[in-house]
Amino acid sequence: MKSILAGKSILIVEDYPAMRKAIRDMLYSLEADTIVEADNGVSAINAISKTNFDIVLCDYNLGAGKNGQQVLEEVRFRKLIEYNCVFIIIAAEQSAGLVLGAMDSKPDEYLTKPFNAQQLFVRLERNLLRKDLMQDIEKEIERGNLSQAIQQCEKLLTKGNKRMRTHLLKMRAELAILVGDFDTGRQVYYDVLQERDLPWARLGLGIIDFQQGDLHQAASEFEDLLREYPMFLEGYDWLSKVHEAEDNLQEVEDVLNQAVDLSPQCILRQKKLATTADKNGHVEVAEKAYKAAVSLGKYSVYKSCSDFTNLAKLYSKTSNSEAALKTLADMRQEYVNNPEAELRASTLESDLHNVSGNEEMAKLSLQKALSLHKQLGSKTPKDLQLDIARSCYLQNQSAEAEAIMDGLIKTHIDDEAFLNDVRRMQSDIGMENHSEVLIQTTKRALVATNNKGVQLYKQGKFKEALALFDKAMTVMPDNKTIIINMLKIIMHDLKATAIDEEKLLRAQALFKKARQINIDRHKLGVLQMEFSNLLRNHVSEPKV
Amino acid sequence: MAEFNNDTLFPVILASTVHDIKNSLGTLLGLIQQLALKQSSDQLDEIRQLGFEANRINHSLMQLLVMYKIGHQKFDLQVEEYAAIDVINEARAQQDSLLQMSNVHVRVECSEDLLCYCDYQYISNALGTILNNAQRYTQQSVIISANKSDGYIKFCIEDDGQGYPVNLLNADLGNPVDLNWVNGNTGLGLYFVAAIASFHKDREKTGFVKIDNQSRIGGARFCLYLP
Repeated sequence: MKSILAGKSILIVEDYPAMRKAIRDMLYSLEADTIVEADNGVSAINAISKTNFDIVLCDYNLGAGKNGQQVLEEVRFRKLIEYNCVFIIIAAEQSAGLVLGAMDSKPDEYLTKPFNAQQLFVRLERNLLRKDLMQDIEKEIERGNLSQAIQQCEKLLTKGNKRMRTHLLKMRAELAILVGDFDTGRQVYYDVLQERDLPWARLGLGIIDFQQGDLHQAASEFEDLLREYPMFLEGYDWLSKVHEAEDNLQEVEDVLNQAVDLSPQCILRQKKLATTADKNGHVEVAEKAYKAAVSLGKYSVYKSCSDFTNLAKLYSKTSNSEAALKTLADMRQEYVNNPEAELRASTLESDLHNVSGNEEMAKLSLQKALSLHKQLGSKTPKDLQLDIARSCYLQNQSAEAEAIMDGLIKTHIDDEAFLNDVRRMQSDIGMENHSEVLIQTTKRALVATNNKGVQLYKQGKFKEALALFDKAMTVMPDNKTIIINMLKIIMHDLKATAIDEEKLLRAQALFKKARQINIDRHKLGVLQMEFSNLLRNHVSEPKV
Repeated sequence: MAEFNNDTLFPVILASTVHDIKNSLGTLLGLIQQLALKQSSDQLDEIRQLGFEANRINHSLMQLLVMYKIGHQKFDLQVEEYAAIDVINEARAQQDSLLQMSNVHVRVECSEDLLCYCDYQYISNALGTILNNAQRYTQQSVIISANKSDGYIKFCIEDDGQGYPVNLLNADLGNPVDLNWVNGNTGLGLYFVAAIASFHKDREKTGFVKIDNQSRIGGARFCLYLP
């Protein structure tokens, strides 16, 4: 056996000492030299944050505390591991993937117990080879350099490595979708499907339909897929996205319910089911899912105080204030001195007091909430701001309510799903259409600003156009349309005139912002590709 | 006291029990391997028997679990593309120490470039099960091969033993209704592998299993076809 492990740093995460020793012995027999061990999730994460491991072998079952899947989710979420790290989850069961129900975070491989050194070797070799081959592509993707990534991918495909061909084709199609080159994406999937019926290729076709706005076609693609592959969980997630885009919340709930039945361990899906069922007024489903989210969250990076308060809110809606207060008490135990948690609790307590007719107490809690909100400022999550506004309306503090609504609507004017939440909240408290005027004027103002900016841009007045958008951004800081337009102008400016560092930095800052506020990656992809081409030419130009 | 609900409790207990048994089995197999290296030759037979039994427990446990899952509609494959040689090597690796101890010579005939779609774990376990039986009945050698056959990938395991008994040769492997043939370890293993094979599908094609005594080295021949 050739030594594939020489010079590689390896982390073993396993709570059972005999098993840990057995794995260590196997690795040494494979000529590993650097092995670090951890016996629980928290020390594993600490170790990973200190060392860049090439390989992590992590048992799923780690006793009390975080499990292996939660360790993986956390290190991915906190970006503690690099793309070339091979992460293997060791599980007792074969169909671990389904049972553990990873939504975004799949390990590179599941390894089933018991296994011996040879079996471990085959797995490690396979994954190390794949990572090695794909790393040129991954590196470029991580840098946001998509055109380079595509070139690398094409280059590898022409080399004719049979074993990697399917991986590369899948990657090629995904990259095409990212840069909005839907024709190429479609073609790759069609070609693959000619050879064999593969669920990921059919999913990809549906994703392209979805991105192109053909919701009807996307839905039928995903539905057909799930009929034949009912265990293909990603299919449910995408189908629910389609229904969400159609604002068909009943369908969203039905689809998520099926997925949760198959894979109850996935916290993100439980949260989504909970809030959807809650909006639909399905108390039992929502309660069950919120409870699941709270308990799955205990050791998860996706733990959130909003799961507690949403559950408490649900109880208060069904006039079960005792259960509501108990849930809030539980939350305070988990979140000590956490302003967001305290703010959530105060807002809800204010409502509870208000409902029970205790106006004085209600007022006090609301005041506390408002002052906490002032401290947090724009860091207060939008759903929570909406709750505070609601309480203000209910307790006749319209001025405060309007101020919050004004900010919310202006910031989120192109988030149609959230605007629907705003509308739902208001009709809920008998103020149907209350903010409609504000929503429509804000939309018109946005259109006007954009038109004006585009006009200036067409007249070649780049500076003026950018200044106009800059000003608009102070009112609507997270507006996606404005940021996209600014990026388009800067890109044009960079192409038309001399490139200077200041403009480059500005573009980079805008790209960063765009990613932060989750602008569709394919909308950004085309611009990012142009930008990386510009950068490459800029760097390769001889300096005078 | 909370009500004891068997339906919800059983899967939980099953899962953690299996986890426990697997941990123990892993340690046990590791210890056996170490013992085999240290012990003098007069004890090798016992150690070999020990290894065989531990492997068998593992396979039986896995078969039990799969059958439980199929029965509860919880069975699912993670089908992806793998090199056929990797699948063969995995099956061999599972049985490696046993094959070495029993001095069975294994010949592999498979091109490096041959690819197949399968659930890696289940198929390599299935082949491991057959290999485990073959090494028990063979005289001295076993051939594992893989190649393309009529739109399927065909894995074969051939031995130079006595061959399959008539009742197995006449059995309809896809149909356990006639349970007579399922009796005994060999039959049970075959039934299990046939079940796993039948879950592998591509459009109208379905995986299946064939057995005969046409081994090139004069014993039993097992063939697994994957679409």
